[in-house]
Amino acid sequence: MRTRPIHWSKVIVAILGLIAPIAIAIANAMAMADGMADAALAYETMEPPRIRLGDSAMIRVTSLDGYLKNVPLPTVPGLTFELLGRSQGLEFVSGKSIPSTYILIRVTPQFTGLFSIPGLTPTSRSLGLEVVSGDEPNPYALHSHNQFPQPLKVSPAPIPKGIQLKAGGAAFVQLVIPTRAVYVGESVPVDIEVGIRPGIVTSMNGLPTLSGTDFTLNNLSKQPKRSDQVIEGSPFAVMTWHSVLAAVKPGDFSLSVETPLSVKINTHSAEDIAIAARMGWPFLQSMYNGIVPKDITIASPSSALKVLPLPTQGQPKDFSGAVGDFQVSSDISPARVAAGDPLTLRLHISGVGNFDRVDSTMFDRLDRWKTYPAKSSFTPSDAVGYKGEKVFEQPLIAALPGEQTIPGLEFSYFNPNTQHYERAHTQPVKVMIAASLADSSLSALAAAQSLNGAPTNQSARGLRPDHPRPQSSVSEMRPLYFQALFLAVPATLALILAGSWFAVRPNPARATSKSAERALAQLDAAAQSGDSSSFFEVARTALLHTFAVRWQMSPDQITVAELKARLGPAGEDIERLCALADEAKYSDYEPGSTDFQHWLRLIRGQLTGERE
Amino acid sequence: MRAPTIAMLIVGLALWCGQTLAQPWQPRYSADGLYNLANSYARAGKPGLAVLNYERASLLAPDDADINANLEYVRASAHVATEPRTRFARIAQAANPTLAAWIGVLGIALVGVGLLARKLAPRFQWLRAGGVLLGVALIALTVSNAMLLWPRMHEAVVLINQTPARVSPVPMGDTAFVLREAETVTITAEHEDFILIRTRGGLSGWVARANLGTVVPQLSEPPPP
Repeated sequence: MRTRPIHWSKVIVAILGLIAPIAIAIANAMAMADGMADAALAYETMEPPRIRLGDSAMIRVTSLDGYLKNVPLPTVPGLTFELLGRSQGLEFVSGKSIPSTYILIRVTPQFTGLFSIPGLTPTSRSLGLEVVSGDEPNPYALHSHNQFPQPLKVSPAPIPKGIQLKAGGAAFVQLVIPTRAVYVGESVPVDIEVGIRPGIVTSMNGLPTLSGTDFTLNNLSKQPKRSDQVIEGSPFAVMTWHSVLAAVKPGDFSLSVETPLSVKINTHSAEDIAIAARMGWPFLQSMYNGIVPKDITIASPSSALKVLPLPTQGQPKDFSGAVGDFQVSSDISPARVAAGDPLTLRLHISGVGNFDRVDSTMFDRLDRWKTYPAKSSFTPSDAVGYKGEKVFEQPLIAALPGEQTIPGLEFSYFNPNTQHYERAHTQPVKVMIAASLADSSLSALAAAQSLNGAPTNQSARGLRPDHPRPQSSVSEMRPLYFQALFLAVPATLALILAGSWFAVRPNPARATSKSAERALAQLDAAAQSGDSSSFFEVARTALLHTFAVRWQMSPDQITVAELKARLGPAGEDIERLCALADEAKYSDYEPGSTDFQHWLRLIRGQLTGERE
Repeated sequence: MRAPTIAMLIVGLALWCGQTLAQPWQPRYSADGLYNLANSYARAGKPGLAVLNYERASLLAPDDADINANLEYVRASAHVATEPRTRFARIAQAANPTLAAWIGVLGIALVGVGLLARKLAPRFQWLRAGGVLLGVALIALTVSNAMLLWPRMHEAVVLINQTPARVSPVPMGDTAFVLREAETVTITAEHEDFILIRTRGGLSGWVARANLGTVVPQLSEPPPP
């Protein structure tokens, strides 16, 4: 028997062919084991999962396997993420303490809604965050011992009529409008519903908008009414906006609304998903982990609406475009005023309809009153302003006293229920206009004083009449003595007088002239009578007195030397006169008449300042 | 030496006259015109503006019986309290301020001339003394007149009824009390668009400038019609 030689190379290939799949399988198993280990050793939690707008939630990423690298912050429209820091601690698992590392992230919402936060670690699941408005019940009441959280009312329902699920069954939008025909300008209440699946629809990126330009839609609230429904076994958060629609032109229209969303859409084909499902959960999980939110816009099914034109037949001239069903009333306050005082006429228009077309043209007929621009205010009685009351306030002033009548006001509108133009009117209002404030008050004052027995005041007779045309006027109300320009006049005068007072000196000659004249008269008399004793005595006294005043010294201080020094040669004559006075007094000396004349000239010259 | 001095004086006088004439035209006020204007406001039922113009007319003609009677009448109609003038005030305000101003100048001249004459000539002492005494009396009359009118330079009249007086000079300041139209108040301070006033009852508060009319018109105020 011949044995075939062994080909070792084939043996090696065969062995490798057997080992290789096993090695690959082992490697895959190890890789899967690592992934499972990661999934088990790192995870994140968020508290609380439901918050109010304005509050924040906290995400804690926990690692049970040593140091945890920084995690990338996710990007979710409407949420702000902020890395607060990291810490270390211990986690107790099955009675064992395991060293742990934590990363804390704060999440702050910018608006209400349901948000889905993608996992921060490779194998973690996404987190859900519900943000409610500030006026809703406190979400933290969940932790209260006394209050238990109210479960959301979830009503199972099949697909409602008119709803078409979009975005892979994750969302829908619906427009609810009346089925009847409407008129141009008529305000029609409409409802817009948007349903989203939390977790799949990550955010709403804007308010629903109406497609087309032939209609006007009132501004939608940022806080819609929210409810939860189960549609075809899936939970939906349904947001409902109530608004008012108005057509701007007649015709047959097809209406729909659109709303932008961010949705996690699976882009893999069904075959791929089936293969991944057969390969087991790691493959299927990795496939779903690759899904990222995508911005899309979904639209509602079209709704037909017929818009009719307003009839031209029977249209009032003062029709301003108001369509609806209105009632009017009026009041005035105060009911009694003085002439010239303002009073306010209020016109109340209530009902349903397009209140923006209700204007104040009805006040144009108040031509006998002085009017000012009217003010208006609208108080809605529903959320959308379809029902309510509009109040016009018209200030009026009556110029004349007495009983005045404000005519009734008329308001025309088109009633779509009766399909006719209608006219609402108010009743005329009577107002008592008293005399002007001054006259009426004065009359009351005078009457009161008369009743008390006191005499009536003079002013109680009324205003005194006007003065004739003014003849003189001034340019400055401030009195003269408070005007700087005028104050210069007395100031200048006072300065001149003060300066003069200091500048002018008294005249000694004038001061002594009277006594000198008196002395000269006595000297003349003595000379004529030949009384030398009296003559020289009077002459000496008068001269010394004059010299004393002139030289500002006492008469006793005047000596002979002083006379000679001040008067020169005349001093010697004065000295001789004094000597003759002594002689005449003590020795009866009698000078001749010639001598008297000589001495008289000398004395007169000295007394009056004249020189011979 | 005298000729250059006189020439400089003449040039200075000419410059002063030119500056005076070059000033912008100012509104003209007359007591009769203001009185008639006040009557118009009173008839129109505006006691605040009526009292304001009566006060202004009274400033120019304090002894006018019609002005005082109508002022009292409108104040009584508006239920605003009035204070009767004292006898001293009636005497001091017998002359209108313009006449009182020139009387004061005459008094200064009499006192000055009397004192100067006493220095120049010792004669007629009784005449000089009488002149000085008369001058002092005239000056006292003018000073009294000015002292009585000085507070009115800082008075204002409330033009709007129920004007709030606030605790601080801001529009949203708390209201301390409410003023009646045609009430006369005293201005004590100003801050931007608010005026600190004091009532005759002693209350103080900040009032919006637009709600008051000053008795002495502000420079920015338009002239009377």
